[in-house]
Amino acid sequence: MNAEGDMLYVYAVVAGGDYTPAVTGIEGSALHMVGRDTGPRAVVHRHTRGPFDGPDDSVRRWVLEHSEVIDDAWQNSPALLPVSFNVIVRSDPETEATATQQLEHWLDDSAETLSRRLEELRDTSELRVELSLDGSLLEEVYAEVGDMRTEMESRPAGVRRLLEKRLEKTEKEIIDRAADRIYPEIRARIAAHCLDIEEHRSTSRESGLTPVIMASCLVRGTEITALGAELTALKKAQPALSIRFLGPWPPYSFADVSIGKEGNPNGSAPDAPTPNPQGERT
Amino acid sequence: MTGDASMQPTRDPRATLPDLIEVLLNKGVHLNLDLIISVADIPLIGVNLRATIAGIETMIEYGMMQQWDRDTREWVQRAVRTHLPLAADEEILAKMAGGHYQDNFYRTWRPGSAYLTTQRLIIHRRDPAETLWQTRLDAIASVSPLRESSIGGEERTRILVGLKDGSEAVLSALEPDRLISLVQARLGRAEGASSSTPEATAEDRPLREGRMWFLETLSTGSTWRGGQAQLSNTELTWRSPMDGRARVRISPEQLLDIRREERSNPTDERRVLILETADSTITLAADDAGAWFAGLDKWRTGPGDRRSAPLEATMSPGRNPDDRVGEGAAPWR
Repeated sequence: MNAEGDMLYVYAVVAGGDYTPAVTGIEGSALHMVGRDTGPRAVVHRHTRGPFDGPDDSVRRWVLEHSEVIDDAWQNSPALLPVSFNVIVRSDPETEATATQQLEHWLDDSAETLSRRLEELRDTSELRVELSLDGSLLEEVYAEVGDMRTEMESRPAGVRRLLEKRLEKTEKEIIDRAADRIYPEIRARIAAHCLDIEEHRSTSRESGLTPVIMASCLVRGTEITALGAELTALKKAQPALSIRFLGPWPPYSFADVSIGKEGNPNGSAPDAPTPNPQGERT
Repeated sequence: MTGDASMQPTRDPRATLPDLIEVLLNKGVHLNLDLIISVADIPLIGVNLRATIAGIETMIEYGMMQQWDRDTREWVQRAVRTHLPLAADEEILAKMAGGHYQDNFYRTWRPGSAYLTTQRLIIHRRDPAETLWQTRLDAIASVSPLRESSIGGEERTRILVGLKDGSEAVLSALEPDRLISLVQARLGRAEGASSSTPEATAEDRPLREGRMWFLETLSTGSTWRGGQAQLSNTELTWRSPMDGRARVRISPEQLLDIRREERSNPTDERRVLILETADSTITLAADDAGAWFAGLDKWRTGPGDRRSAPLEATMSPGRNPDDRVGEGAAPWR
């Protein structure tokens, strides 16, 4: 058995350079770098137990501490790939390679892919853009439903309940149609500022709002202001839009790199490459 | 923006914490090293946070699994397996919100998700985990839509599943027609067209649908994105399964011109489709771009020809074009 303590918790991969972490890791762990000076390097702490596991409040705190390390690396190194929470490298019981050697091999084997992606992500930020329609502010809702509502007040309670249900449904349909109608232009105008854009299906956190677009945007530092101005213009054109604009963050949603297993001595059969419908560039 | 300050993004942790947590659990590099204890698809964390990985499941809702690489498929299967037991060689083909009508002591709809796998049709509730109803596909004798009026007068389509043992089950699903056609395709039989789509929606029934690529313009170039196109009497839509809504939505009146051009694209068909509207140019690619071109050209040039477009056999006449004016054609305000 290999030593329990020989593990590395990984926070991020940064481009070659002289970055040294200025913060501590989860629960105050001391951070250090693994990898060659010239190639991609990993920000890690020496880990002595299993994955972080516990009550939600603790997990929340750990995730935040994890993100603070990524943030520091993002602001103080040329480029970075954030690593997911709870990624831990251990030693190999068969070859007796230590966790550090394992990670070094991986960085070496994946250097080309990692460097390419790091270069693409240089000077980029992730921004989250969430646009929803507030039905109570939407003109067409008022136009189509307003009179019905007034009329309803004079009806007996039973009828009113029935009408209320029908009205709610009509209102919902009107808002949804409006969202469908404005979506293509909104998506186009936002995408024009992004290097990449990825939508989420998360439903709106606030009730009464109908999501139009919930997206993570990968933008160059210089485009952040332009994207903000675009959102301001959209809001001005449609006052019923409610906008959440979050960030800038490290490019969390765009760190995906497909690294083949060919270079990994322990790898299984290499995967047949399949074209990714999202990613083909012209 | 005359006089308006442009909107500034916020990093206020009080506003962004849930988003940050979600993104850190779902995103970021997954080292594909064999010697990793835990990656984010199996975060060993509290139950509530674990539910955030449910987001992954929505990505299989559009039946796009075939497009993905093996790792992603396995990842999704594993994520689902944590609450829905599957056989070793069983794969999920589609998932959508659904329910089962329980008809014993209590008559009640029990909500959950409808899963179509390579072996079964399942109504499963995630939390608390319970399989509400299921059948093996080879036990299904028939599956058909059932029109039903609900309280409040709205019409709904339910799904009537007849089993070979003579029993029946009534299910609900977010997209009943789609689920029915997926099950039928799986059963390898096309049921009589007369029993399928209800009349009320006949005019919006697709004239043509299929896989299509959309060229999206980004800040530094453009990207082909895969998705599904659908042509009905009233509109042409294209939507990526990754997006919340259809990126293309145009009516015949909005389509000013359509032409074909040679352009590199992900399909074997070199000539793409260029659609012109008053305020945009839409570039689409499909393996059957030729057939789409013919269909769209007829669609655009008027209702007289519309019926002879390359359609399904059974199709109700198009609506009077006057009725359509203004619908879906409203400009962005």
